[in-house]
Amino acid sequence: MISAIYDFALTTGANRVIKGARIEHVCGDPTLSAEKDYALGMRIVTTALETLTIAVPGPTLFDPMAPGKPQEGAHAS
Amino acid sequence: MRLELGTFPVTDVVFGAQTRYDAGRLAVDRDSVLAAVRQDPRIATAELELARPGESVRIWPVRDVIEPRIKVQGPGVCYPGICGRDIATVGEGRTHRLAGVGVVEVSSVNWHDAGGDYVETYLDMAGHYGEMYPYRELVNLCLVVEPDATLGEEIKNYAVHKAALTVSDRLGEAVRSLTPPEREVFELTPVDPALPRVIYLWCVHSPQAMSGSPTAFCTATYGLTQLTPPWYLHPNEILDGALTGPYRTAFAMSWTVANNPLLLDLYRRHGRDWNFLGVISLRTEWTTQTEKQLMANQTAKLAKQLGAQGAVVTWDAGGNEFIEVVRSIQACERLGIKTVFLTSEDDATDGAPTMLEPLPEADAIVSTSFFKNVTLGVPEAPAVGRVIGLPTKKILRGSTIGLHAGADATLPTAGPLPVPWRYDDHYGFNSLSCIE
Repeated sequence: MISAIYDFALTTGANRVIKGARIEHVCGDPTLSAEKDYALGMRIVTTALETLTIAVPGPTLFDPMAPGKPQEGAHAS
Repeated sequence: MRLELGTFPVTDVVFGAQTRYDAGRLAVDRDSVLAAVRQDPRIATAELELARPGESVRIWPVRDVIEPRIKVQGPGVCYPGICGRDIATVGEGRTHRLAGVGVVEVSSVNWHDAGGDYVETYLDMAGHYGEMYPYRELVNLCLVVEPDATLGEEIKNYAVHKAALTVSDRLGEAVRSLTPPEREVFELTPVDPALPRVIYLWCVHSPQAMSGSPTAFCTATYGLTQLTPPWYLHPNEILDGALTGPYRTAFAMSWTVANNPLLLDLYRRHGRDWNFLGVISLRTEWTTQTEKQLMANQTAKLAKQLGAQGAVVTWDAGGNEFIEVVRSIQACERLGIKTVFLTSEDDATDGAPTMLEPLPEADAIVSTSFFKNVTLGVPEAPAVGRVIGLPTKKILRGSTIGLHAGADATLPTAGPLPVPWRYDDHYGFNSLSCIE
């Protein structure tokens, strides 16, 4: 699940949660140029697709801006 | 900061040759008030009509209800900042108010043109639907106003609200030099240090994210509606209208903000039951997790720094804004500040919680019942004898009234008419509560 309010996604039990940009534009940023907006969207969506290949023990947060080690599913902290 | 609030009770309003107040009777010089409104070149049409309690009258659509307040002594103007008014800090000196009368802003102008929110609140002066709102007890002077259609939505909003404030100011001027029949002094005097220190966390919606504009029209703080870190306001500032203006719901209007029973009760019991520290006003609808949590952290930090031991929390919105509200409660509790949350509830479809993120720290909640009229099962409002405002309502995509009629249909507003989607008693005007 791609979400800008990812803690809420985690507490409701989504297994793979990807940090989105903002509530009003989850997979992009209209304040960027068209090219950079596209690149940001690709990065978020690609990260989401890649996480489907990763086994997770439970709700886990992935940050497209810091790829690599997934973060623990933080609950309402 | 000391504020003397002088109240002039109004029992009837009539149109007359001169705008004047005499023993509860307010006469309004319709032509001169309208001339003042029409001085603004942005205004295309403006009319004034009266609606009295108990009449078979519907006011459609209602953007705002304003209580006339005027600064008599001390800096600034009442309802500062909004629509270009003076931004001098208010709350000091003497203010006169006309109680029992509402200036109703009746206009088709929508909040913004980004979609999603429509002006679909209306008021009935009689019947079961009318009785759900405090405005039914007011004598309502309705300004039916439309701006120049060529203007942008934001300018239109400012033009019609300024017009309603012009009417409010004109009424207020009638009591400027009179002696108020009732007076009340508001001051946060030093009190017994043993009394518990209580703060009011007043969460207010910002339309910035939804509209895409930091200056979109909404309930404003000295005219500002953008997403800002928490404000610390003296309650006198709010009594003078530093927080004012409408948005979306029938309970988020200038009148309800100025007459918020929770604020008044917190203030009046200062020095007797607690030490009231004032108001932290938190803008909501931040659009990332980080921002929501940051605002919650900073709100709680500010409350702690001000010495709060208890906090009363309200909000005026729905949806994701719940996150920063409930996280503020959580952050306060974690700093040792006890909280009480006054809120409406969502419907419990399929056993879902009636709150978006029920956190264990939010364990003292006062429910003002469901926030949707549809969950409350409010029947449609009956036909009325007279409509003030627009005779028909066009069904738009996303409308919450009249969907059964289909898109682009028009409904006669004289009714019968479905009630608006939202109810949402933000400040506890009514006594509805949770259904066990």
